[in-house]
Amino acid sequence: MIKLKGMPGSIVRCIIPEDMPAADFKSEFDKVRKHGGPILNGARIVLDFGARAISEATVPALIEEFVWPSGASVAAWITYDAVSQKLLKRAGLYTSEPAPAEESPCGTLVLHQSLRSGQRVEHRGDVIITGHVNDGAEVLASGNITILGRLNGLVHAGCEGKGDNTDAIVVARCMEALQVRIGSKIGSLGRDAEWWGRRVIVSVRDGGVLIEYWPLVKGENSAAAGAAKEETA
Amino acid sequence: MAPRVIVVTSGKGGVGKTTATANIAAALAILGNKVVAIDGDVGLRNLDVVMGLENRIVYTLVDALEGHCRLNQALIKDKRVENLFMIPTAQSKTKDAVTYDQMVHVCSELRKEFDFVLIDSPAGIEAGFRNAAAGVDEALVITTPEVSAVRDADRIIGLLESMEKSPIFLIVNRIRPHMVKKGDMLDVADVLDILQIALIGMVPDDENVVKSANEGRPLTLSDDSQAGVAFRNIAARMTGGDIPFMNLDIPRKGLLARIKDAFAGGR
Repeated sequence: MIKLKGMPGSIVRCIIPEDMPAADFKSEFDKVRKHGGPILNGARIVLDFGARAISEATVPALIEEFVWPSGASVAAWITYDAVSQKLLKRAGLYTSEPAPAEESPCGTLVLHQSLRSGQRVEHRGDVIITGHVNDGAEVLASGNITILGRLNGLVHAGCEGKGDNTDAIVVARCMEALQVRIGSKIGSLGRDAEWWGRRVIVSVRDGGVLIEYWPLVKGENSAAAGAAKEETA
Repeated sequence: MAPRVIVVTSGKGGVGKTTATANIAAALAILGNKVVAIDGDVGLRNLDVVMGLENRIVYTLVDALEGHCRLNQALIKDKRVENLFMIPTAQSKTKDAVTYDQMVHVCSELRKEFDFVLIDSPAGIEAGFRNAAAGVDEALVITTPEVSAVRDADRIIGLLESMEKSPIFLIVNRIRPHMVKKGDMLDVADVLDILQIALIGMVPDDENVVKSANEGRPLTLSDDSQAGVAFRNIAARMTGGDIPFMNLDIPRKGLLARIKDAFAGGR
């Protein structure tokens, strides 16, 4: 069943479950329109498809059968499927979380799943992922990124905004990524590095990318801490 | 039992999709199911050779789709096993010769006649794969215990999930226990930790596989080689059999020897 959820900045989030068959789209969206009519009319909505891929045919069908009749305007089309994101962008549609009226972040995105190779999450704010970020998956956040599973893929914290957001940090429970990006800095790591497979916190200090064991223990960490090889993006 | 339409896929090439399709199809037929294996790799057909049916091809899947013959004229009956069939594909065409809707139609037609429809997918994630997966419900994902193959399997599982295929089962192919033991090869637990889908089979690396593919005689038809048994076990599990996984470990040292080693290392 499709769920409607209020978000800050008077945005309505329309969550389409990943396990809902695409064949049910029409009937399910009709139901939402029927029951959520007054909420949707004039509202800014975010269509959240999760990891589902969106086909070429789905977009015009949804616009015609749901968006126009409901009176809502779509602030963003969210999918973690990179091919679908590209498709939506080509149609001039927004694929990242909408900015509320003031330039504040959207809060924290918490994902209770693993990201597979080829999947991509973009978020204005902080991101917490309770699963793994597999090799070939990408996470981009304007704020901090925390991975409770294993980090094999690419993360880019502090990835947007004016100037560098080098205050952002990346925390990983099991660090197995060859590269971490924070703001305009890129830190690269070798498989033989002592942090490989460990709990780490990555930050930018004095213009360099710094990796430390997590949790931080006074004295001990600063001795162990070292800069990853760095480059400027 | 409702008919089951399954795509055999991997993302990466050369990990054993065609061999697995041929062997599992034959094993399912031996178990008494009516099975058809379809070569979904238009332009690079191989399944006919691995199944040893290349000399019997008259019409192909593409001929049937283009209306040059009926679908059942493209079906080749395997004479060695009751109820085993295959549909070859065209070697002289490209992936564009088949469309998504045509594959959906073919699958729905074959559903009426067969217990199992297995489709051997081409490598890659483009139209060839999407067509092969178009009309199926389930998927068997094949990988080898190599980082590159696992990454591609992860990608393909993500795509299959977004195409709402379920269940998706994993086969880890070409395991070399000695390399795993030395830490030179990922072990199955590592692969499962990354891919997070249900395992349905582990197949050891076995020279007999190459031999049988060259001879066009699936191992599961007769052979008692390790790989043949592993593929037969997979077929049995697919039909609900509760078969324990093969022990691919090389003999381990006893507890006492391990304690001795630990003390020796601690000195």
